[in-house]
Amino acid sequence: MKTAYKHPGRYSLWQYLVLAFTLIFMTLSALPNWYGEQPTVRLSSEQKDATALTPNALTKQLGEQGIEVTKVVTENYGVTIYLQQQDQQQHAQQVLKAAYNDDYSTALAMKSAAPAWLSDLGMNPVKLGLDLRGGVRFLLKVDTAVAVKEQLEQIQSHAKQLIRSNRLYGATAQVIAGNKVELSYKESQFDGMKAVKKTLRQSYPQLDFSSDGPTRFVIAYGEQAIAQFETEVMAQNLHTLRDRIEELGITEAVTQRKGKNHIRIELPGVQDPSEAKRIIGATAALDFHEVKATGGKVFLTKEGKEVSLKPLPLLSGKHIKDARAAFSDMGVPEVHLVLDETGGKIMTKHSQKNVGNPMVTVFTDYTQDAQGRSIKTAKIINMATITSVLGSRFSITNMQSAQAAQELALLLRAGSLTAPVTIEAESTIGPTLGHENINNGLAALALGLAVILIFMGLWYRRLGAIANIALGLNLICLLGLMSLIPGAVLTLPGIAGLVLTVGMAVDTNVLIFERIKEESNKGRSVLQAVDQGYSNAFATILDANITTLITAGILYGVGYGPVKGFAITLGLGILTSMFTGVFASRAMTNIAMLKSKKLLKGVCA
Amino acid sequence: MNNQAITKLRNTGFKTALVFIVMSIVGLLMYGLNLGIEFTGGVITRFETTEVVSQEKMQQLLQDQVQGQFKLESAKDNTQWSVHQEADQAKEHYKVWFDKLVKVADVGVQFLDSDAFGPQVGEQLINQGGLAMMAALVSILLYLAMRFEWRLAVGAITALFHDVLVVLGVFAFTGQEFNLTALAAILAVIGYSLNDSIIVGDRVRELMRLNKDSTLDSIINAAIASTMTRTLITSGTTLATIIAIWVLAGTPLRGFAMSLFTGILVGTLSSICIAATVPALLGLDVDHYKIKPEEEQEMLTP
Repeated sequence: MKTAYKHPGRYSLWQYLVLAFTLIFMTLSALPNWYGEQPTVRLSSEQKDATALTPNALTKQLGEQGIEVTKVVTENYGVTIYLQQQDQQQHAQQVLKAAYNDDYSTALAMKSAAPAWLSDLGMNPVKLGLDLRGGVRFLLKVDTAVAVKEQLEQIQSHAKQLIRSNRLYGATAQVIAGNKVELSYKESQFDGMKAVKKTLRQSYPQLDFSSDGPTRFVIAYGEQAIAQFETEVMAQNLHTLRDRIEELGITEAVTQRKGKNHIRIELPGVQDPSEAKRIIGATAALDFHEVKATGGKVFLTKEGKEVSLKPLPLLSGKHIKDARAAFSDMGVPEVHLVLDETGGKIMTKHSQKNVGNPMVTVFTDYTQDAQGRSIKTAKIINMATITSVLGSRFSITNMQSAQAAQELALLLRAGSLTAPVTIEAESTIGPTLGHENINNGLAALALGLAVILIFMGLWYRRLGAIANIALGLNLICLLGLMSLIPGAVLTLPGIAGLVLTVGMAVDTNVLIFERIKEESNKGRSVLQAVDQGYSNAFATILDANITTLITAGILYGVGYGPVKGFAITLGLGILTSMFTGVFASRAMTNIAMLKSKKLLKGVCA
Repeated sequence: MNNQAITKLRNTGFKTALVFIVMSIVGLLMYGLNLGIEFTGGVITRFETTEVVSQEKMQQLLQDQVQGQFKLESAKDNTQWSVHQEADQAKEHYKVWFDKLVKVADVGVQFLDSDAFGPQVGEQLINQGGLAMMAALVSILLYLAMRFEWRLAVGAITALFHDVLVVLGVFAFTGQEFNLTALAAILAVIGYSLNDSIIVGDRVRELMRLNKDSTLDSIINAAIASTMTRTLITSGTTLATIIAIWVLAGTPLRGFAMSLFTGILVGTLSSICIAATVPALLGLDVDHYKIKPEEEQEMLTP
């Protein structure tokens, strides 16, 4: 009778296949973590005549400085040097910078140490947080209020300029409370002011304009316009900061907007925060130049082409008030610029005489090197032909793509704005502590895991073995999933979450096994008891885990730094533990039951 | 365990929980929380020495290098040091005095980490943390209200408040630093505490449907009895892993481990004694889960 009972919960072939496929995939994805990461320094150059580099020479050169090199891989446009020790990474960069700075740019990175075929499959180790690999974290506050104030002052001086040029003597413009600019004038000047108002309306379409009686006119930043302006300020600052960090040669930096006016920057591998601090605080500028056929100052374009320009800029970027990406009538991307009054005049004067001639946009930035010296870097970001007489509004046409146009507009706006940045929080984690944290975390994981494996094995015997295998699979799946998800970072609290997941994951199996025991005590056959146990427990398991999932989600949403890592392992751990605890252990129970009915020894009397 | 024993356990546990709540409130009012520098602002710099250095000697060494007032603490038998400066006392970047210290010290000095938080950050983090806690409570409340009879939901939430309060109370009494990870652990406790309460609640609901003639008290007791083994095993395994974190994972996670350990310990108690008792006090009745005729039909047909 019992043998004839068709097991209702038996999985079909495709379910086993899905399970097997998922587990294999997750194992592959988790595998690179076994090998870990290796610190590297990459030298790259776009110059064809760059000094040739040979692996042996590089190894020897670094070896003389006491830096151990494990291998050197030659690639297109450069080489990647793999180092033995992470704390020698910056030293190696300095040595290489000193030797090859003319031809090559250097960048630090951590590369997977796993065999190449795994990397080729796109499988890489999970990203480690700063507390595990060492580095610097900054929390910057962007003073958007100052930027708003400057923008208002800009409007004020524009208005004053217009008043002067319209000869409306006695009329004034001033910034007043509530993000407003107030124009006041005599009643007799009302008609004359019309032209001023019209120009201002055209120049600042995003603002609110209102007449207040016959002698007052108010230009106001509405709440929405302020919010939009602040968002732009933040985006510009982030962009500039990212560019600068890239200049530093840190490829895996995180630069994120946090809340309304904060920026979080993480620089893994950096050991001296003072250098990064200098770079982050540097200022940038943008200028317009004329081409000079002979004897000018030589600048480089993005492609590395040399162009000779008049050394003094025709117009400085300080005069750019606003820049927007747009499309021409022909559908070609371009950037619309708005200059301030002075800038407009210069441009009109210049363009009247120079239709048909090129105008060049040069981006200049002052950065500081390790010795604290300011270094000026200038590059040409655009070359365009003047097609007509230009006023305070003109366009840089023929951009390569809509994206390029948007980026240029953003850069131009960034150059025109100064929203001061202050560092509100700064954390430095030394490399020693990073290693120590990893070791401590792994020790806790090993101890926790051992206790649970032994307990489950003793308490539930054979079913316990299934739970233990499920637990192992759970860890593999969790690690695999974390390596797979691009934003997932493993931190020390994250490891704690991993350990905690181990403790909690058995809950799923305990719930099921206790149910099976109960059903068996009611007098059901082994197969029925197992089936009922799994299906009755599932609703409860789901209920119980959803609340933790909710808290994990909230924690992820508001978490700061390492805490976010905890939320990630906590949340993903619940998902994987439900998968392995219910689905995988059910499959194993089914297979085991086919072979022997003694499975429930230790669970059923 | 028989019916009477469980009733007794519940009543004793419920009273104990009330005492815990009162004590925690008293502790919080008397001592308050020892907030971490994330919340208060300030600078902490930690480093290791290769050899044991006496506290006086290190104090003297640092006095000459560090500008402004500082507090020195040692750990690991005077080989690990932390220098704590108030936000307005930290006049120089830690790098300045640390580099000097490395030069003058006659033992090896190894930098561990440094955290600097401006005073405004703390305010923001406290607001954010409070917001997170409220968001967690509200969304869980909504979920429970949707899923359970309101009396059972209130029972679970009461248990939850008890757990969070007692964890905070323990932090107040021990003076253990309450930092960001400890706060995160409290949020995890919220999730876990409910986990147990929900499992008991689920059982109460199920048994109410099946045994229409039993008294409420005996149904609650039966629900507790049938989930007891599971609750104890799960809490036990989780506590075991937390002890592993507490013992091995080092200072950064001490507050985290303490938060979780207390939370899960009292959470187990509260899910047995509060989550199931409060609904009865609120007048939960077996009739509330009377099966509607069509549902009964469904259940009878296999």
